[in-house]
Amino acid sequence: MVVDPAHGGSDAGARGAAGVLESDVVLNFARVLRLALEAQGVRVLLTREGNQDPSFDDRSMLINGLRGAIFISLHVASTGPVGTVRAYWYGGVTGDLPEAPATTGARAAAGRPAAATRAGLILWNRAQESHREASRRLADLTQIQLAQKFRGSPEVPEPAPVRQLRTIAGPAIAVEVSSVAVSDPGQLQQMARPLADSITRAVTDFAAAGVAPSRTN
Amino acid sequence: MARHWKIAIAILAVFALAGGFTFPALLRNVLRLRRAGVTEEQARREITEQPISTPSDAPGKAQLFWASATSAGALEATEVNLPLSADPTLRAKQLIAALIARAPSSAQRTLPAEAELLQLYVLANGTAVADFSEALPTQVPSGILSEQLVVDSIAHTLGANIPAISRLKILIHGQEAETLAGHLDLSGFFPVGAPDAADAATPSAASGPQPVAGAPPSASGITPQPAPTSPR
Ligand SMILES: [Zn+2]
Repeated sequence: MVVDPAHGGSDAGARGAAGVLESDVVLNFARVLRLALEAQGVRVLLTREGNQDPSFDDRSMLINGLRGAIFISLHVASTGPVGTVRAYWYGGVTGDLPEAPATTGARAAAGRPAAATRAGLILWNRAQESHREASRRLADLTQIQLAQKFRGSPEVPEPAPVRQLRTIAGPAIAVEVSSVAVSDPGQLQQMARPLADSITRAVTDFAAAGVAPSRTN
Repeated sequence: MARHWKIAIAILAVFALAGGFTFPALLRNVLRLRRAGVTEEQARREITEQPISTPSDAPGKAQLFWASATSAGALEATEVNLPLSADPTLRAKQLIAALIARAPSSAQRTLPAEAELLQLYVLANGTAVADFSEALPTQVPSGILSEQLVVDSIAHTLGANIPAISRLKILIHGQEAETLAGHLDLSGFFPVGAPDAADAATPSAASGPQPVAGAPPSASGITPQPAPTSPR
């Protein structure tokens, strides 16, 4: 699976008054999460190992070449009650979608490579579309764990059109911790371990449900 | 001709026509203010912040959605006395101006005080296209939770007061932006109206975001590519 410490490089993400940078905190979260997942025998790739800033599409490419992989994007919010965590799947947008052939034609006319939909291929920029139900299940399982470990967190996840998730061709969620507004950066540091445990547990549950014959929520 | 090309041409025509009408007046104002020795910023403010009043204005009560004072991360409807135009476009401008100018407190503010609505159109299909100044992305706190609050604040406010509007497209300085402030996808349309409309569109309706037809190509830098799973 792919763990995405969001932001990085010149994009620090959310910044706190006490000098907390989202990009630093999520990198630490990602490293701790990788260890927890690997302990369960899960192979893990990070979208960045240091303070680089790969594009949304670069990060998507990393997982879109892997079959059956899961993508988890880690964030720290600017707002929200400190110590709470929210999981999101891609949703909350509406579309008046043109017919697929028309879209393909328009792209071709615009001189760009056309991504056909008829031959079972997917439109790159809407890769998440056919995985939204799976992503929602993963978000549900993750939020259940988060609500247990982090008091005050919601019981159920919310849909949100998080840009990074749109181009992921597989189950994908974003997890956002509140917040960079902590007075002591150590508070966020202390959340790394329970966060990793929650997500690892959810991923394990998700994988177990995936092989079961019935796929109810 | 494909339907969405017709829509694209219609949108471009509306923009061109609107530009044709507003540009000379705008230019005169800018030149006048520049002669007076004021900064570009002040000039722009003077032009964009004239109170929006229209012939069909009637005093009314509008429901505006700001951040809840009691429950963090949630929105709350507040009833505000506001002159409301009968015209959906003008009414939408009045509402968004009030969302920015009349936030009850800084804690409840959703749109930054510096943000300006540069232009707004309501298309025949119920799409409101709202074009904001750069201050919106630069001043909104970066994060999924905070950015979603901004969008919901606008969408719920329009939905509660203008039945003719069913969805919202947000532009930044006339361009399609990739994200609001690093997280929220602006390439698609946000449902306007009942807060549950978003969920209704979620499961099998397969409604991913769709770039607006006629928008500048690839402002977001997304190059569609064949999926890696394609048999090539
Ligand atoms: Zn972030």
